[in-house]
Amino acid sequence: MKKLILVLSIIGALMGCSGPSSDTFPNRDIEIIIPYNAGGGFDVYARSLAQYMERYLPEEINILPINMPGAGGRRGASHVYRADPDGYTIGIFNMPGILLPQIQGVKINYDVNQLSWLSTLSIDGYGIIVDDESPINSVEDIKNMGRPVVYGATGPSSTSYIATTIVSTALEIPYKVITGYKGSGEYILGVIRGDVDAAFANYSTIQPYLESGDIKLAAVIGVDSDDPNIMDANDLGVPDLSNIKIVRMMAGPPGMPEDIRSTLEQAMLSALDDQDFKAWLDATGNDVYPANAVDTKTAVDEMSSFYDKFKEFLD
Amino acid sequence: MIDLLLNALSDIASVKTILLLVLGVMFGLVFGVIPGLGGTTALAILMPLTFGMTAIDAFAMSGGIMGAVAMGGAISAILLNTPGTAPNAATTLDGYPLAKQGRAAEAIGAAATASPLGGLFGVITLLMVLPVAKQLVLLFGPPEFFLLAVFGLVTIALSDSTNLLRGLVSAGVGLMLAFVGYDTVTGGERFTYGSDYLFDGIPLVPALVGLFGVTEMIHLSITGGTVAGDASAVRIHGVMKGIKATLKNWRIVIRGSLTGTIIGSIPGVGGTVATFIAYSTTKRADADPESFGTGRIEGVIAPESANNAKDSGALLPTIAFGIPGSAEMAVFLGILVLHGMQPGPTMLLNNEREIYVLIIALTLSAVFSAIIGIALVKWLAMITLVRGQILAPLVIAVSLVGTYAINSRPGDVVIAAILGMVGYLMLRFNYPRLPLVIALVLGETAERGFLQSMMISQGSWGIFISSVTSIIMVLLILITLGWSFIPGILKSRRAAKAKSD
Repeated sequence: MKKLILVLSIIGALMGCSGPSSDTFPNRDIEIIIPYNAGGGFDVYARSLAQYMERYLPEEINILPINMPGAGGRRGASHVYRADPDGYTIGIFNMPGILLPQIQGVKINYDVNQLSWLSTLSIDGYGIIVDDESPINSVEDIKNMGRPVVYGATGPSSTSYIATTIVSTALEIPYKVITGYKGSGEYILGVIRGDVDAAFANYSTIQPYLESGDIKLAAVIGVDSDDPNIMDANDLGVPDLSNIKIVRMMAGPPGMPEDIRSTLEQAMLSALDDQDFKAWLDATGNDVYPANAVDTKTAVDEMSSFYDKFKEFLD
Repeated sequence: MIDLLLNALSDIASVKTILLLVLGVMFGLVFGVIPGLGGTTALAILMPLTFGMTAIDAFAMSGGIMGAVAMGGAISAILLNTPGTAPNAATTLDGYPLAKQGRAAEAIGAAATASPLGGLFGVITLLMVLPVAKQLVLLFGPPEFFLLAVFGLVTIALSDSTNLLRGLVSAGVGLMLAFVGYDTVTGGERFTYGSDYLFDGIPLVPALVGLFGVTEMIHLSITGGTVAGDASAVRIHGVMKGIKATLKNWRIVIRGSLTGTIIGSIPGVGGTVATFIAYSTTKRADADPESFGTGRIEGVIAPESANNAKDSGALLPTIAFGIPGSAEMAVFLGILVLHGMQPGPTMLLNNEREIYVLIIALTLSAVFSAIIGIALVKWLAMITLVRGQILAPLVIAVSLVGTYAINSRPGDVVIAAILGMVGYLMLRFNYPRLPLVIALVLGETAERGFLQSMMISQGSWGIFISSVTSIIMVLLILITLGWSFIPGILKSRRAAKAKSD
């Protein structure tokens, strides 16, 4: 009995001195839900950021990245939406990836506009890519092909497909889409191999392919072009199309208390400004585009109304 | 190239790096043995641990894992008729009958020899084709994917001539299961009944755990007894016999590893199909194909030599274009990015050193895991003497937990349980299970390749003979079909002639 009391008191003492006090946030590990598979772009970004975020939280706790792939990101979004808004479950989301099914009226278990948006991490635009040896060099060339241009894309509800249809319609480009490619890597290969004429691919993803000279750009959308030969949405006369981009945002469940929300927001913004994190971003060709909670929520609302306008293309 | 390999070898040759590689091998073996878990899960779990390591250490450990899972998976395939990882499914066909005859040690010895040899041939092939890696990857587009899937399906259809109709029924069910979920071509949802789980389709690994692991354990519980029917027949000293058999059948090893490298390099098709095709070509080339499935050692050698070679194949698209050739490679690319590298077509220029380290680590790992496997054979073979009442609940529990652990989705466990019962009925009524698995893997590739080809060619069938690759594939399909039917036709003609005479 004496031994038991001794053991219990040692355990008690250990618990008392090692753990953070229980009334402050955070006093236990925080889970970041990643709605995609381990190893993907989102996953790696979240894992890398999580390490640096730990540095800027008031208590020493771990941030645990949890992969929850499924239903094109909807499973992860539902999980975060249903979690307790205590700050210990947050998620990294692809916008408009999780917004589009909501606008299309797909049955989903979350509401993008109700999530507690915390911060914006990065913004990525699209490049309209063609094979290096293609005669196409601009949107004008695409229009003058004498036949509808053939694009490659993933599934018809994917962000790349929707970017393709909205931009082509707005620019009055006659087009056809070969769907079914599994991920951007595959349709970039499709462009190189000549299955298709062109494709919309994330600007950061295509950088190594541009560098190696396998592909070239016909135009960019959602990012500003600094090359006079490559037009962006403004040069093309449709500045509204700059809304077409992929944004990585962090959010928690609806109804998160203000103090918890702001602790997390500050830690994220500080991590995004961390020198070591920036060095990693540089080395891997990743980008950062920090925005606070208020601006993030505004961006979410703007994005919702932008895609609402194009609802008819989203079927 | 030799100096690059030597450099990589000297990078690895530090006590710490070798220890991490061996740690990876241990981890890979355990994850390979447990049905459901595999290289992808092992890599994903160890990924956060690599934060604190140098890039070289991280790659040595990853290579250790990837090279070892095949050996681990072969052990469960042989001893329990449960493929530890998906590509080991073909090994069950003759490996398990061998275990039943008490020749488990021989089968494991053969697998442990075929694995590293296959891995080595795979690496040699990879190094030889590396300069033309880009051109090779570009040979395969939607029409070629479709033809490859058809080739795979034709191979299954004809794999068991005594059981042709039942095999086709099984493959048909597999195709039906393959079409469940979101269709990336049309955007429609099929047979999902509004469920988010079914949106992603029927996952392969839980299906395999059910069809093989759960099924076998149900069977064992019902029949009672042990895996090896006769305890006195269990020979634990057959290892050398297995090793010798593999060395004697070096042709099978080379053919298997070539098959593994080529098919392993095609994203989305990968190991399961590669090992199966290696198995069935070996069977067809044999003088006595009918005896396969009853415990032929060649039936273990062929798939296992393809199994380690497929990793080299999967490296091809990864190196050439930064596109992962397998799920394991996808996680490996993630580890690369975490260590500040950028995957893509420039990888061979920028990350040459790391790639060679991975190649060396893969090769060393195959050798280490084989040595560990051989060293443990004695104790492992004892599993076949454990009574079903004890073995079945253990294996079922471990398999189902493994299935859940992949993605923590309860639905995966339900799929494993349902297919376990379906598998038992198939076993009971003598329907082969592997055609279902292969059709499940290939169904989507076949459909997607066909629809995409038709969209690209605007409905012209000519696209399927528009490239040299596709013409070769069409010929392969025709030869495979002819090979199986013509001898039969000739025989019946001769018989008819004899009758009329």
